[in-house]
Amino acid sequence: MPVQTANSSSLSMLLFMAWRNLWRNPVRSLLTVSALAGGLIMIILYSALLTGMTRQMSQHATEISTGHLQLQRQAFIDDRDLYATLPWPYLQQLEARHPEMHFAPRLYAAGLASAENTSTGVMIKAIDPLRERQTTRMLEHIRQGKADFAIADHTASGLPRYNLVIGAQLAKNMQLTPGSELILVTQAADGSIGNALFRVAAILKPLEPNFDRMGVLMSIEAFQQLMYLEDGFHELAIKLEIIDQLDSAQVTLIQQLAAFTHEQPLEPLGGDPIIRNWRQLNPAVSEMLELSQTMMLFVGLIVISLASMGMLNTMLMAVHERTHEFGILLAIGMKRRILLAMVLFESFLLALVSAALGSAVGSLMTVYLERDGIDLSHYMPDGYDWAGVVFEPVMQIYLEPTHVLHACGLMMTVTLLTALIPAWRMARLNPAEVMR
Amino acid sequence: MALLTLEAISKHYRQGEIDLPALKQVDLSVEPGEFAALVGPSGSGKTTLLNIIGGLDVPNQGHVWLHGTDLTRLKDAQLSDFRLFQLGFIFQAYNLVPVLSALENVELIMVLQGRPSAEREARARHYLSLVGLEDVMLRRPSALSGGQQQRVAVARALAAGPRLVLADEPTANLDSENATALLDIMHRLCREEKTTFIFSTHDPRVMERAERIITLRDGAIVQDQHLNQTAYADHN
Ligand SMILES: Nc1ncnc2c1ncn2[C@@H]1O[C@H](COP(=O)(O)OP(=O)(O)OP(=O)(O)O)[C@@H](O)[C@H]1O
Ligand SMILES: [Mg+2]
Repeated sequence: MPVQTANSSSLSMLLFMAWRNLWRNPVRSLLTVSALAGGLIMIILYSALLTGMTRQMSQHATEISTGHLQLQRQAFIDDRDLYATLPWPYLQQLEARHPEMHFAPRLYAAGLASAENTSTGVMIKAIDPLRERQTTRMLEHIRQGKADFAIADHTASGLPRYNLVIGAQLAKNMQLTPGSELILVTQAADGSIGNALFRVAAILKPLEPNFDRMGVLMSIEAFQQLMYLEDGFHELAIKLEIIDQLDSAQVTLIQQLAAFTHEQPLEPLGGDPIIRNWRQLNPAVSEMLELSQTMMLFVGLIVISLASMGMLNTMLMAVHERTHEFGILLAIGMKRRILLAMVLFESFLLALVSAALGSAVGSLMTVYLERDGIDLSHYMPDGYDWAGVVFEPVMQIYLEPTHVLHACGLMMTVTLLTALIPAWRMARLNPAEVMR
Repeated sequence: MALLTLEAISKHYRQGEIDLPALKQVDLSVEPGEFAALVGPSGSGKTTLLNIIGGLDVPNQGHVWLHGTDLTRLKDAQLSDFRLFQLGFIFQAYNLVPVLSALENVELIMVLQGRPSAEREARARHYLSLVGLEDVMLRRPSALSGGQQQRVAVARALAAGPRLVLADEPTANLDSENATALLDIMHRLCREEKTTFIFSTHDPRVMERAERIITLRDGAIVQDQHLNQTAYADHN
């Protein structure tokens, strides 16, 4: 017997019969296809929304203020030790060696801010505006005023009055607007009480709840005059041109810093210089991203399982209606496994048509939404704050092509598994019973 | 040598506590080329016997020898192959796959047999014209009359080249004109193709075309007549 011919012709004949059988009841098949395709569209939209959100989260985590990597000293990480600074030459050396990276030095201190009739504790963050703009987008998030850190004017006694930028909630709590005056009182590095008069130049948009409530941004120059702290910086935020090189860049920088400290040891109290990447700096965000993957799979499974119930019903009915026909086919000598293959082919074709339709429509919809995002700024001009992360009012949609493939694969698998139920029932058919 | 030999076939169905006998110790022998009718009142066991001969059902006792093979000893897959290559089936009604044309229905069984495509099509066309359907072979069953559908089933059974064709009341759903026409076609093919036919019927006009009439009553053969074939030839 020419087995080869038998197999290939049987296969095409089976596919042909399966395809024709699908259109035997077009309304039913189309309903099934729309249920499956609709489920797929939902999953694609959901995954694009979630991916958009997580991308926004990781972008937020890196671009807004953290950077991809950060350098600090152990004692600063542990207790925000004012004296745990890194020497300025480190910055120049790193910049000279790594033109492909951007570096933003920062200094921190705690203080007390007083305005006309209120005062409150604040967190002072000193930046180098030029380098900061190259490294993070913090200074683009201005709600009101202009991010200006220069000297505004001089006091009656001839001291410079610097501009500064403050957090959204702090501005609201202290009723400050651009142009308002602010007095900052701190304990300076030499133990003396530092105090100075500042002018509010701008108010930031919400970035991060703590900073919104207590953050005061000023130039490093202003900070040095207020704090008498000139010998170094507390933190270096680092931005890579190519995010994919995060791990290797981290390793390189760790080695270079080891070499720096070997050449010129740091005073021991501040501890070792530590380089951490943004995942280590924001473990919550990093966990969130992993969780979102699980969530996508879970929601996908639920939606697809529901949709495949429609498929199950269709195939059970289709098989039930054709019991007699299957009995005849078994009687004339069709093998059970061939009959089974034919029924599975039908489910497969249904799933395939649904996958094609669903992924096409779903992808088109996301591509359309991807262009502009979903703009909620009418309802929430400042965005919204969720799990400690502030989201922009325009929700980003991002279509990850592999997610579409995965969703299709998941749907095909689940529906084919479901199709085994009617196929199994049919495979136990007794032709003698059916023929009576 | 006989083509078919039944040795003491018994079949009973369990109905709750009791066993209902459908066939009791049936012995039968059929020679190649016979055109035999299985008759008897309703419930006498005709369908049961045909199913057992066709390997669709297994007897509780006895053996079915077909061309030297004991069907009662074959496994499901072997039986399926045996039916595919050695046996043809014509059932009462709805024999055909609704989504395939008459031609495709006849070809399907040869696809399963693994015959090459050109041979398939040639044979399918040949047998469809032998049963007088050359003009309608591209139609689907729903566009054929009951008589035409049964003739497609006859063409399908013969195109596969079986040794024995089994037909359980093939004319039950046909008017008497169509019924006798179908029988005439079957009889002609029986002679021309040297194929053996066993069919069951209630219809006296169908019975009178048989060359042999086997009468069943309460699961046993009560009469087995060989009729004069020339009488039929005259009639034709
Ligand atoms: N699956 C079954 N379960 C129980 N009893 C059965 C079953 N199939 C057949 N029988 C019984 O076996 C006996 C023979 O039935 P069978 O169908 O072979 O008769 P038949 O001669 O073909 O009748 P008809 O002319 O009405 O088609 C009957 O008494 C019937 O009730
Ligand atoms: Mg019967």
